[in-house]
Amino acid sequence: MDGIHDLGGMHGFGAVVAPGGEAPYHERWAARVCALHMLVELERLGARPGGRATREEMDPVDYLAASYFERWLWSAEQGLLRKGTIAAGEVEHMMERLAAGGPEPPPHRDPEQAARAVERLREVVPMQPATRPRFVPGQGVRVRRMHPAGHTRCPRYVRGARGVVERVRGAEELPDLAVYERDAPVEPVYAVAFGSDELWGRGEEPPWTVALDLWESYLEEAE
Amino acid sequence: MSTEHGHDHHPRPDSELALRARALEALLAEKGLVATDAIDAVVELYERDVGPQNGARVVAHAWTDPAYRERLLADGAKAIAELGFVGAQGDNLVAVANTPSVHNVVVCTLCSCYPWPVLGLPPTWYKSPPYRARVVAEPRAVLGEFGLELPDEVEIRVWDSSAEVRYLVVPMRPAGTDGLTEEALRALVTRDCMIGTAVPQTGSR
Repeated sequence: MDGIHDLGGMHGFGAVVAPGGEAPYHERWAARVCALHMLVELERLGARPGGRATREEMDPVDYLAASYFERWLWSAEQGLLRKGTIAAGEVEHMMERLAAGGPEPPPHRDPEQAARAVERLREVVPMQPATRPRFVPGQGVRVRRMHPAGHTRCPRYVRGARGVVERVRGAEELPDLAVYERDAPVEPVYAVAFGSDELWGRGEEPPWTVALDLWESYLEEAE
Repeated sequence: MSTEHGHDHHPRPDSELALRARALEALLAEKGLVATDAIDAVVELYERDVGPQNGARVVAHAWTDPAYRERLLADGAKAIAELGFVGAQGDNLVAVANTPSVHNVVVCTLCSCYPWPVLGLPPTWYKSPPYRARVVAEPRAVLGEFGLELPDEVEIRVWDSSAEVRYLVVPMRPAGTDGLTEEALRALVTRDCMIGTAVPQTGSR
């Protein structure tokens, strides 16, 4: 989806090094939202397409105005609402209750869930080996011109550009479909390198390389 | 847009967000779906056990053990698992080594993908629009903001991560550190060295 999240190459955002940039979060609520969102996904309490693709659907003005974990809070709530785990209005009702000094629900203890979460977060699921990859290292490829309405891992700034395959990373479900449905097709994933002149034209800086991992259906043979 | 603004400048007050977050947590607790102690455990995992100290152990070990360095560059995920670092967002970890002619730097332009098992949660700047927008399109200007100036002949390689492949930069071991123990070397390897926005500094600098 050509949304506001696809930021590579955009102008106007100002300095990278700025006050408040160092820590992952500055407020306790953000730490807890981060953990809560992971648990919502681990326990499958939210609807597809999951946090990342849901945040891409955020209104672009809200996306830019929100802090990072504010977006996570939004996507956690959206997933829970869409799955029917919570009903519309329930969060607001609880907010009113808490703000009025009403009784806070007692903490819910579940040591098994805690242990399960930590274990799952330490699991490793390696990429499968690629069988019959269409492209080989050293081969020139061109990223397809495309305009998908849904989630994709192919950023706008490489579409149409010519690059060179450096490595076959392995094979993985195509994220464009996998976030929405089970049993999405598994495709080879390639590390593809692009020259800065190809992506941006000649600028003030000496040429550099941008490399990223692209699924086979994002690519076609370069002429 | 002013360059004076901080990363956390946004119109909704923290108090309202804190209340909303507290309400969502309370609601899920009341329904018996997400346990308070499970949230505590996940917060603690990333505040206590999983952070750049893990990546520093990997890099210092690679500096002192050439065979480990080779294994790390060949299969990052397997090599970090040797040291006990596994888990979410590190499944397909690729380690990329800086050399006198190549400097690597990592970004995720589409979201905030990051090698959690070795670096923990990313700093706010890594997840914010300025870095995600600019480092692919003007890497030297961005590195300059971090105080890192590289000779023109050094090739900068920017790695744009995905949810499935994450990168760890293995910086060059600084000169004059031959006498240091592996433990002392770890202290030179900061988080930013492993993202690629810094290089290790010795005390003499």
